Amino acid sequence: MAKLMRVINRDQCIGCYSCMNACSRAWESALTVEKAALRVKNYPGVEGAFSVRICYGCTEPDCAAVCPTRALTPRKGGGVQLDKTKCVGCGSCIKACVPGALQWDIEEKHPLVCRHCGICAQFCPNDVLALVEVEE
Amino acid sequence: MKQFWMLEVDLSTGESKRTEVTRLFDKWLGGTGVATKLLVDNCPPDIDPYAPQAPVVFAIGPLNNVFPVITKTAALFKSPLTGDLGESHAGGRFSLALYESGNHVLLLRGKAPSLSYIVIENDTVLIKPCNSLKGMSALASERVLRDTEEGLGKRSIVRIGPAGERLSPIACATVDSSRHFGRLGLGGVLGSKNIKAIVVSGSRYWKIEEKKKYNSLYTRLYKEIVHSDSMAKYHDLGTAMNVIPLSKINGLPTRNFSQGFFEGAEKISGEEFATTRLAQQIACAGCQIGCIHVATLREAFNQAHHMYKTLKVSYDHELIFAWGSNLSIDSTDMILKLLQAVEKQGWDGISMGVTMAWATEAFQRGLITERETDGLILNFGDGEVYLKVLNRIAQGANEFFQSLEKGASYCAKKYGGKDFAIAFNANEAPGYSTGPFAFLGYATGVRHSHLDNAGYSIDQKVLTTSISFEDAIKEMYDEGVWRMVMNSLVACLFARTVYDVKTICEALESVGIEWSAEQIGEFSHRLHGLKYLFKEKCGFTFDKLALPEKLTRVYMSNGKVDQEMFKRGLEIYRKFVESDMEMAISEMP
Repeated sequence: MAKLMRVINRDQCIGCYSCMNACSRAWESALTVEKAALRVKNYPGVEGAFSVRICYGCTEPDCAAVCPTRALTPRKGGGVQLDKTKCVGCGSCIKACVPGALQWDIEEKHPLVCRHCGICAQFCPNDVLALVEVEE
Repeated sequence: MKQFWMLEVDLSTGESKRTEVTRLFDKWLGGTGVATKLLVDNCPPDIDPYAPQAPVVFAIGPLNNVFPVITKTAALFKSPLTGDLGESHAGGRFSLALYESGNHVLLLRGKAPSLSYIVIENDTVLIKPCNSLKGMSALASERVLRDTEEGLGKRSIVRIGPAGERLSPIACATVDSSRHFGRLGLGGVLGSKNIKAIVVSGSRYWKIEEKKKYNSLYTRLYKEIVHSDSMAKYHDLGTAMNVIPLSKINGLPTRNFSQGFFEGAEKISGEEFATTRLAQQIACAGCQIGCIHVATLREAFNQAHHMYKTLKVSYDHELIFAWGSNLSIDSTDMILKLLQAVEKQGWDGISMGVTMAWATEAFQRGLITERETDGLILNFGDGEVYLKVLNRIAQGANEFFQSLEKGASYCAKKYGGKDFAIAFNANEAPGYSTGPFAFLGYATGVRHSHLDNAGYSIDQKVLTTSISFEDAIKEMYDEGVWRMVMNSLVACLFARTVYDVKTICEALESVGIEWSAEQIGEFSHRLHGLKYLFKEKCGFTFDKLALPEKLTRVYMSNGKVDQEMFKRGLEIYRKFVESDMEMAISEMP
């Protein structure tokens, strides 16, 4: 059984961004939310309506399919992996991900790929996110 | 080595520059420390707070966005309400966005030629005219700008409502969702600079250098904050949990501070709001607690056709006091309606509420009549009329309504009723009438806020332990000095039990910033002294501080207070402050 990240209680999100901090810290050694492979989005004028966008772990990922250099390829168990040396920074992958779950590194100009490691869930105070077992 | 940068924007010329200010942070830690020093160096003390040259300084600290719950931004300015040191703090996403724009300090001076907003995205600084936003509510302004300004990454939007545009000295600046630079009139100061809003975002960040050390401390603090009881009350009922206990000990100001017991406390308690009106809690960026309590109010606007609208408004203890007990309103729905009106206009909730309470008492005593109120009959408890009053203030309907948004002290000078204008150094009092130390705290604190030195908690301590008057004042003073440190980090004060001096030094060290406990101690006194030196240069003196006479007749948790006791307390506090002022004298320009 593979494990993938899932948003299990979206409506329990308080918008603290602790998940994004944890991801940036763990994988990019960066004190920011912008290097995270997920986003908590809030909507203007709607107090407290948060949407959490994290890699869906597609088995046939649209983002990888449009990658012109095969930098982004399907990952065993779901989701994608990135070979940074092949990435030309075209951003096609970001546009192909309809829910906007794949994130973009503004500084390095390549996608920020979710490793489905679960660190974001570990630092979520309200059980919004979980690393769950899924059928392969 | 961590670097700190300041962005200076001259609104008159449209020019901006970015300067490295690491040495300033070495000496003044950050947040209120750095911003106070910059204010003192850049603000002539005799200047009109609304003069273009009067600066506004926003600053975050060395641990903002680095450790949990260190989420606030300090704003320093000359207060149009008190005429001396203006300072307020806000959460939301402002601290995150400033940091990500690569700046720990934002200093504004000058005046834009017409109503404008500032956009900051890393090195890009634009001042954009926005006459179309003139008169727009603080809530709508955010909706519009969040649509218009895409930004880089997470954006923060600080804006004023129409009250700030009208230069009300009790206008606030609203930050993102339900956070405010509330007290002492920053909204009016931004209005005087023709600044409707500031939109900040960026993509800069610090690298973690010692990953293991940093991660282990972060995890320890995260667990303490999320899993222990130390902060549970803030995300549980929130500060609104105080309503019933305070009323039970005669500490909940009621009907313009006539008494500390409110017969309707249970109907507007934290418990009542939570079970019947609470929609959800939300958080500032970087805080896992989520103390912002957002309530919903569902109302039919067309009963015959079952057409409904739902408002979402945030509440806390201070707002429940200011628009509930202190106006004798015992309906959660009415409190929420009043708060919505206050949010739209962009007034400080405490100041406007306390001024409304003064107006009601002044009306009942005949100092103002139906001539001034344009026929409205002000009664404690009559929320519908208060809604009309707010509406007329917003319209600037006549001189009386225009005066109301200048605060209780201004109104009392003009119409009389000074002894029941419940303000200290012109700042309207917050929601604790626990005893003499609460009032001494409001009077003596640098910002005249309950958050300066927590006198209200000393009152509660005095109730249960035997502590001399002098020692109690000393404790209050020590707390006031310690909060210089918390406010320089800039930590949320709700996390004050988690961040002791040892933890702070450890946290700073984990990101390569060296401060010893001794240095922090010396700094806290020096900064405390500098603030009072600036206040005095602006005309503040301890001698001028007065206890509104009405408060001497009120039975409180901790008995009664008389003028002699109040004066004695001031005198003891003043002596402590004088030693800090001596330490800081060389820091004055």
